[in-house]
Amino acid sequence: MNQRDLELLSSYLDGQLKPSDSARLESRLASDVGLRAVLDDLRAARGLLRQLPMRKAPRNFTLTPKMVGKNPPLPRSYPAFRFVTALASLMLFFTLGLNFVAPQLAQTPAFGMGGGGAPEVFSASEAPAVPEFAATEAAATEEPSILMMPAPTETVPPAQDSARELETPSDKQGVDNSADVPAETSAQPVPEPPVPPVWQIVLAAIALLGAICMVLMRQAAASRWRK
Amino acid sequence: MDEQALIHDAQTGNLDAFNTLILHYQDSVYNTALRILGDEDQAADATQEAFISAFKSISSFRGGSFKAWLMRTVTNACYDELRRQKRRPTTPLEPDTDDGEEMDSPRWLADPGMTPDQKAEADELEHALQHCLNNLPLEFKSVVVMADIQGMDYSEVAIAVRVPLGTIKSRLARARLRLRECLQGFSELLPASFRLEEGSNA
Repeated sequence: MNQRDLELLSSYLDGQLKPSDSARLESRLASDVGLRAVLDDLRAARGLLRQLPMRKAPRNFTLTPKMVGKNPPLPRSYPAFRFVTALASLMLFFTLGLNFVAPQLAQTPAFGMGGGGAPEVFSASEAPAVPEFAATEAAATEEPSILMMPAPTETVPPAQDSARELETPSDKQGVDNSADVPAETSAQPVPEPPVPPVWQIVLAAIALLGAICMVLMRQAAASRWRK
Repeated sequence: MDEQALIHDAQTGNLDAFNTLILHYQDSVYNTALRILGDEDQAADATQEAFISAFKSISSFRGGSFKAWLMRTVTNACYDELRRQKRRPTTPLEPDTDDGEEMDSPRWLADPGMTPDQKAEADELEHALQHCLNNLPLEFKSVVVMADIQGMDYSEVAIAVRVPLGTIKSRLARARLRLRECLQGFSELLPASFRLEEGSNA
């Protein structure tokens, strides 16, 4: 028995052959006893299999939400709470970041452009430095302590006077330097945060309340699910 | 039962609809698993796995025979179960008789309308058939179980095992031939109408 004949017989048994193929096989079966015997055996084997009793399922195989990893149905308002909570959290972090970064941004241009208080101090003290030294040298020949004393009005020669005029601002500046810088710094007003802290408190409260509501909703849904 | 409506509802996540389908098909699915695996507990596990997997992937069902689609799922679950068995072979806990032979499981004593003798004969025949099924290669076994035990037509079987129709015909013919050869060893158990001819030329 070749494979082709075996398939023909099996298909013939199930009525799966074309009418022409079926007629040709039937004519062969009429004359071939061996072929007919195989057909009978295949029919008997199929009949035995069909006689196997259908067992009833030992239990119901219905699924529970837990088995399929399904979450309990949440209330319709849940997405709104989720959206509000997420939005409040984002805004809170944004305002916190903004309030932290804004004062630094406000100070940065004063340093960079040389227009602020501190660079002014440096440029003013450095620029007259050369005349100051010139005047100091000139004055040093007569009185070494002239720099420490108040400027005399009558005894100072014209040359020295002009030198003193040059010297005075620098001297003043030199003396004032130490006193002015802290004065300017302390005088700077503390910059107002762009977002008032009360808004941040409100946002934090919204985010917190939203999160609590979401947790409670989930717990309530889960308890309903278990029932 | 409006099967299409239930399938549609199940595809939208309605578990109740899918459970209605399960109740309708669970006997067929369980019996298929039982005949492929030859063990009740494993068949129950495979059936449960198959239904879980079917629910999770029901969105991939695009129409046609739902039974064939389910049978594909349970066949895959059986293949997985057999692979697990190969990795972790176990010894059955069925009690032995005094002669050391395996004691019949109560599953062989199912029909309450039979006399004890008839039950015993039916049990032995079923045992013999299951023994012969177990000896078939897996790809033959799934085809013969679906075609001859579940009564599915060739096209449904082809969908279930994802092979061409010609392959189904070939596998089914060879499976029946092997079964016939195997059952010849149990000829004394077979009813007279199903006695196989000894020594027929296959």
